[in-house]
Amino acid sequence: MKTVLALCMRNLKEFVRNRTRLIFSIIFPFFFIYVFSAIFRNDYIENPISHMLAGIAIATVFDFSLRISSTTIDDMASGFMKEVLVSPVSRLSVAGGQFLSSAVIGTMQGLLIIIIGFFIGFRITTPLTIIYMILAMIFVGFVFAGFGLFLATNTKSTQTFQVISVAITMPMTFLSGAYIPLEHLPPTLTYISYINPLTYAVALFRTISLERLATPQSQLIAEELAFEIGGFVVTPWISALFLLGFGALFLLLSTISFARTDFSKVSRGAGEQIDW
Amino acid sequence: MNPIIEVKNFTKRYGKFTAVDNISFDVAEGSIFAFLGPNGAGKSTTINTLCTIFEKTEGILRIDGKDVSTQKSEVRRAIGVVFQDSTLDKKMTVEENLKMHCVFYSVPKSEVNERISFVLELVELSEWRKKRVSALSGGMKRRVEIARGLIHYPKVLFLDEPTTGLDPQTRAHIWEYIVKLQKEKNITMFLTTHYMDEAEICNQVAIMDGGKIVANDTPFALKKQYTKDRAYITTERPEELERLLHTYNLDYIKKPKYYRVDACNIPTLLQVLGEQKDVITDLELKKGTLNDVFLEITGKEIREGTKS
Ligand SMILES: Nc1ncnc2c1ncn2[C@@H]1O[C@H](COP(=O)(O)OP(=O)(O)OP(=O)(O)O)[C@@H](O)[C@H]1O
Ligand SMILES: [Mg+2]
Repeated sequence: MKTVLALCMRNLKEFVRNRTRLIFSIIFPFFFIYVFSAIFRNDYIENPISHMLAGIAIATVFDFSLRISSTTIDDMASGFMKEVLVSPVSRLSVAGGQFLSSAVIGTMQGLLIIIIGFFIGFRITTPLTIIYMILAMIFVGFVFAGFGLFLATNTKSTQTFQVISVAITMPMTFLSGAYIPLEHLPPTLTYISYINPLTYAVALFRTISLERLATPQSQLIAEELAFEIGGFVVTPWISALFLLGFGALFLLLSTISFARTDFSKVSRGAGEQIDW
Repeated sequence: MNPIIEVKNFTKRYGKFTAVDNISFDVAEGSIFAFLGPNGAGKSTTINTLCTIFEKTEGILRIDGKDVSTQKSEVRRAIGVVFQDSTLDKKMTVEENLKMHCVFYSVPKSEVNERISFVLELVELSEWRKKRVSALSGGMKRRVEIARGLIHYPKVLFLDEPTTGLDPQTRAHIWEYIVKLQKEKNITMFLTTHYMDEAEICNQVAIMDGGKIVANDTPFALKKQYTKDRAYITTERPEELERLLHTYNLDYIKKPKYYRVDACNIPTLLQVLGEQKDVITDLELKKGTLNDVFLEITGKEIREGTKS
């Protein structure tokens, strides 16, 4: 546990010390809110600001937790991962530290959006909601940190990861309903969005932040907080279960592939050629 | 006494390429053991496999009686490693690097600060404690890595080319530490080097070439077996010297400016020199070096060791 925390702290420090990334990640939410509030303004949904903010917040959690996981590749290229893996710490806690820091940074970013949101009209009726929101963001952060680490350990080079992550995250975010309501999508793409785990994360998080846990099903479906797929209704709770399954699977897979990393097979990336 | 490192019939292949080819050796506890060999000999491959980072292809490798493939955690606890390439966390400070290492190896919290001060003093970097690693010079980074490898008091310390790229003073210092630690803490040192003078300090030297160990003994025994002492003589009367060398039956090679004479029989050589004592203008006696050993066994020089 000590190792998990120490590694997580180290990743957080590194995130804060990387000035450009830090400044970008603070400006980034303002930019997004500005752009997307224009798109959502003339929408039919009641309380469009909250609706939009919840979507942006959770998509940001997704984006950051996935991206922070990829720092593992940098650690492999710079050699630091060798120092970690030659020590007696368990692979599980190394992966754990990585997940935790991804989830924490993702949640911080999401929270930043929500805080800005309070100034432009985001409303909740009970402070409990904000606690549920944070828990939900941590949960979603872990789910996609696992997915990110899985991609990272299987690509092994920063460039490849960048290409793959753009190729995967772009469609995932735009086919999730976070920015663009699903009903605006052509029917074929709607089906793709139903197999997109982010769709369910968005639905779950919106339900929580809009305080709709007690809303009747038909209303939820109309607001895209629940989905009717072939007669089966995916309620927000089923969405949560689905995410849990997806997250557990990838946390497991990524931990396994992490533990199996045989350094004699890791391609000698740019960082490995540093010569004494 | 049981050897602390045992390697039997170890082979490592990268795909179809055999980097290490069926080698066997033992290392005695508390000794300094060196792998000497040219680039690509398979030294790093062997070290990386011994310290559980690479998977072996075949063979048995044990450290302190524990198998490196099936008892990885036990082996990892017993060793410290300084890899050939830097493994420092460059965005963090020297202290943060060392503290992290203490967490990994479960050094008791009450001892962490004391040990950090101790190892930093050892490598003379105490003033750099709070600096980012990226701000250090190459040699300083190397010293931090050596300090870090020692902080958990390992039984065996692996050093893959610990002194390559360091200035002569630092090199000498690092060797002081290595010998001191071996003597005082009984840490077994397993290192690789291209420098002959460094190999001379070790208790045992295995010469590696093309994935095979071609010789493995003490530096003294290696030199005794593979090299000859030689005298380099310059004289005003070369014909006379040649005649004398023939009569006393000493092997020699004639070079443009001097004669290279085998000096295995010192009394005879002294007699030759005595008869020529007024005409000899220059005389140099050279002991065999490990470089000669290497040359003798493999027919080539160790590229980077020749300057020693
Ligand atoms: N990860 C790898 N994949 C494929 N081949 C490798 C890998 N690592 C090393 N080799 C090859 O194995 C051989 C031995 O390499 P190794 O690094 O063990 O040599 P070395 O003795 O440490 O050399 P040097 O003195 O240059 O450090 C070389 O021919 C090298 O090209
Ligand atoms: Mg090497």
